[in-house]
Amino acid sequence: MSTRMIRSLVGAFLALTLSLAASAASKELNLFAWSEYVPQSVLDGFTKSTGIKVNYETFASGEEMLAKLLAGGTAYDLIQPPDYIAEALIKNKLLVPLDYKKLPRFKNLLPAFLKMPHDPEQKYTIPYMASTVGIVVNSERVKEPVTGIKDLFSPKYKGRIVTVDDGRELVTAALYVLGYSLNDINAKNLKEARPLLAQWIKLIKLFDSDSPKTALLNGDVDLGYVWGGEAALLWNENKKFIYVLPKEGAHQFVDVLAVPKGAKNSDAAHAFIDYLLRPEVSKIISDEFPYTNPNGEARKLLSPEQLANPASYPKDTRKLDTFRHLGDSGAMIDELITDLKNAK
Amino acid sequence: MQALAIPDAENLHARRPRFWGWVLLAPLVAWLVAFVVVPMVILFGYSFCTRDDLGRVVFSFTLENYGRVFDPIYLRILGRSIGFAAVTTVLCVAIGYPVAWYIARQPERIRDKLLLLVMIPFWTSFLIRTYAWIAILKNEGLLNGMLQYVGLISAPLPLLYTPAAVLIGLVYAYLPFMILPIYGSAEKLDNALVEAAHDLGAGPMRAFSEVIIPLTWPGITAGMLLVFVPAIGMFAITDLMGGAQVPMIGNVIQNQFFRARNAPFGAALGVVFTLMFVLAYALVHRRASRTR
Repeated sequence: MSTRMIRSLVGAFLALTLSLAASAASKELNLFAWSEYVPQSVLDGFTKSTGIKVNYETFASGEEMLAKLLAGGTAYDLIQPPDYIAEALIKNKLLVPLDYKKLPRFKNLLPAFLKMPHDPEQKYTIPYMASTVGIVVNSERVKEPVTGIKDLFSPKYKGRIVTVDDGRELVTAALYVLGYSLNDINAKNLKEARPLLAQWIKLIKLFDSDSPKTALLNGDVDLGYVWGGEAALLWNENKKFIYVLPKEGAHQFVDVLAVPKGAKNSDAAHAFIDYLLRPEVSKIISDEFPYTNPNGEARKLLSPEQLANPASYPKDTRKLDTFRHLGDSGAMIDELITDLKNAK
Repeated sequence: MQALAIPDAENLHARRPRFWGWVLLAPLVAWLVAFVVVPMVILFGYSFCTRDDLGRVVFSFTLENYGRVFDPIYLRILGRSIGFAAVTTVLCVAIGYPVAWYIARQPERIRDKLLLLVMIPFWTSFLIRTYAWIAILKNEGLLNGMLQYVGLISAPLPLLYTPAAVLIGLVYAYLPFMILPIYGSAEKLDNALVEAAHDLGAGPMRAFSEVIIPLTWPGITAGMLLVFVPAIGMFAITDLMGGAQVPMIGNVIQNQFFRARNAPFGAALGVVFTLMFVLAYALVHRRASRTR
C-alpha cells in the first residue's frame, strides 16, 4: 500500500468520525461528576424529557477531577467541582460564564448559597449540593459526650476512629484546634500543626474518603471525622449515629455545576442544570443522597424526617466558612501527611 | 567481528524474522510503543519539569524532583514496600509450591480440574474479591463470628486494617501467579529422576533439595518475579484492607498525580522505580545465565 493511499484512507476515516461526532453532539451531554451523586433516575428523566443522552463519567475527589479535566481527554460539557476547585478554574479562566436566560429556575436557590467566596459574582457556577465536615459518634459504644475535635482525638479512642483520607481536611481540623482560620495554610502554621497531627494519626484506625460510613456501620470503628452526607446516611440507617459540628470550628463545602472552556454542547449543559433545579428533580437527589439541598423550593417537598436529619440540616447556626483556592500548598500538605503516616 | 559479518544462512533465518514475521509482530509492537514506550518517554520528560498552581506541567528544566526522590521519607516508604513484597513472595512460595507440586503429580483428569480451581477467582473482579476479604475479616465478620461461636475468643480480634490484613490480601491476590509457573516446571519434571535419586540413596530431603528444587527452579524464579514486582507497586489492597494507614510507594506515586497536583514529582518517582526494576532484573538475569 502506498503512503498516499494510506493518507487518503486515514483522511477519509477522520472526516467520517468527525462528522459522526458533530451530528451526535447536540444529542449528547458529557457530564463529569462525583461518583454516587447524580441518581440514574434523574439522568433517565432528563433524557426522556429532552432526548439528550447523558454520558456520566465519574471521579472520586476534586483533585482527581482537576487532573483529568486538565489532561483534556474528553471535551466535558458540564463538570461538578467542589467550591475551591471551581475558584481555581475561574481564576485560570477555564470556565465559561453561564447564560442565565437559559436557567429560569435559578430563582429556586436559597440566597445563602449564592455569591459565595468561590464565585462572588455568581457568574460561573450553580450550587448542586452542600455539606459539612463533622464528627459522627456511635452513641451505643461511646457514652461520653464528644463535641469537639480535641474530644474526638483523645488517646482513649485509639484504634476506634475513621477519618476522611484527605490531607487538607486533617490539616484544617488541626488549624481549628490551634485557633487559626481554615485557609491560613502556610509553612509556619503547618509546622505548628505537625505535632498535633502526628498524635492524631497514631490514633486513627482507618483513612477512607470514599465510604467512611462502612467501617462505622460494620462496627470496626466507633467515631469518625467524615463528610456530612455520609453521616446523614448513617443516621438514616440507625439513629445511634450522632453527628455534631466540632465546637473548635466547622466548615461547609458546596459542589457546583459549571461549564468548562472547550465544552461542545453548552446548550445541553444549561438544559441539564435547569432540569436539576426543578424542585421535584432536586427532591429525588435528596431522597437518594441526603446532602444539604440549596434549592429552597425542593426543600419544601422534603419530609419532616429528612429535614430533621442533623447531618443534612445541622441545627448549628454558626456561619460556616468554605475552602479557598490556595495555590500549590497541596504539595506541602501531601508531604506532611505522608511523612506523618510514614512515622506510624 | 568476522563471525558476525558472515553468519550462515540457517542462523540468519533463525535470528531475523522476515517480512511476515514483522507483520505478525506489528500489533504487539504497536501496542508496546503506544502504551509503554511513549508513556515512559512522556514520564521521563515530565520528571524534569515544574508545575503551576493547578498542577499543570510547566516546561522549565529542574532536577529538584529527583532530589526529593532520595529524601529519607520516600526511601523509607520504598523500603517498607519492598519489605511487604518480599514477605508476600516468601509466603507465596511456601504456600504455592506444595500446591503446585501436588497438582502436577495428579492424573491428567484431576489435574485439569484442580488448575481450573486455581483460576476461577480470576473470573471475578479483583476489587470484589478484596471486598469479600473485608467481609470476612471485619470485627463483626465471618471469621470473628465463627471463632466467637466456637468459643475460641470472647471479644472480636481486630484483624482488618492491620499489616496482617494487608499481607493476607497480597498473598491471596498473587498466589495464583506463583502456583501456575511452578506447576509448569513441576509437571515437566520426569519422575524417573526422583526415583533415580532415591535409588542412589538420597532420602526425601536430599532428593528434594538436590533434584526437585533445581529442576523446578525456573518456575520458582518466574513466579517470584511475577509476585514480587507487582506487589511492590500495589496500592489498592493497602488502602482497602490496611485502612490507608501507612503509605506504600504505589500510594505515594498515585497521590502525586491525583492529590498533590505534582505530576513532575510523581513522574520522577516512577522513573526511578522503573530503573530500579530494570537494573534488578538485569542483575538476576546475568547471574542466572552465568550459573547456567
